[in-house]
Amino acid sequence: MSRSLPAPERPTAADPDLDAVLAAQADRAAFAVLYQRYLDRVYGYCFYLLGDHHDAEDATERTFLAALRALPGFRDEGASFRAWLFRIARNTVLNARRGRIRRRTEPLPDSFDRAAPDSDPAGMVAQADELRRALRVVHQLPDDRRQVILLRFVDGLSSREIGLVLDRSEGAVRVLLHRALRDLAARLHP
Amino acid sequence: MITRTRAERLDEAVDGILSGAAPAVEPELRPLVDTASLLRAALPPLPAGERFEARLASRLLRPGHLVWLAVLLGHAAGRGIGRAMRHPGRSLAAVGGVVTALAALVAVGFTRRAARRG
Repeated sequence: MSRSLPAPERPTAADPDLDAVLAAQADRAAFAVLYQRYLDRVYGYCFYLLGDHHDAEDATERTFLAALRALPGFRDEGASFRAWLFRIARNTVLNARRGRIRRRTEPLPDSFDRAAPDSDPAGMVAQADELRRALRVVHQLPDDRRQVILLRFVDGLSSREIGLVLDRSEGAVRVLLHRALRDLAARLHP
Repeated sequence: MITRTRAERLDEAVDGILSGAAPAVEPELRPLVDTASLLRAALPPLPAGERFEARLASRLLRPGHLVWLAVLLGHAAGRGIGRAMRHPGRSLAAVGGVVTALAALVAVGFTRRAARRG
């Protein structure tokens, strides 16, 4: 479990999750709305970073349990709920990687099996080749650039939100995005 | 006049791609924007498995709240239509499970009510 939860933040007026967060702070049952809204996105983020279905489920579970525990302390310090949630997910993935290094079970990019076991197999096959190739090159990026790519393209976070997740300025995230896309373009279209 | 950096212009173009647009950019940024479009297509959101979704929901669930059940049933229904068309047998089994769960909830409700009256 992540021991370094982000500092509590309160939702801002521009936070699209504001109503749901306030409702969940008043009544834990209302957290169901946020769970439904972000389960797939957190799972996808964890899976793309960990490359293993079961590790991704474990990290997703830890992320939501930690978020539910920390939610009453969520206070307004300029961050959105989803940036806060993905910071928890990032810390959880980092902890999972440390454990994996200890177990020496880091999967290679080629071993990526993107879909959950009960997903549609036809859809898996159709996109598998393109996905593997893109995943392979994304996986070869330095960690900070890979994080920016996944948070931007898989989870749809803005550069400002990614900065809050990664403890970087918005400008630094834009530079990372530019460098990452430049690297990927060179590898995908040499 | 404010001069935006290349990284800022690229970031705006990515915003456009993520919202489904085809942004116009200067030629030197075009390869990067094309790569961003490829990533958009090649890195789709990955849905969590339905069994995992239900299992985690039950861990997060506080007993006595049916909001979770309603939300999950709605979510499963939204996801399930496409799958039901492709896997009717599996869908019938899932529907059977949901009906059983609802019947159990109703039974629990009646039992509690009877206990209160008794």
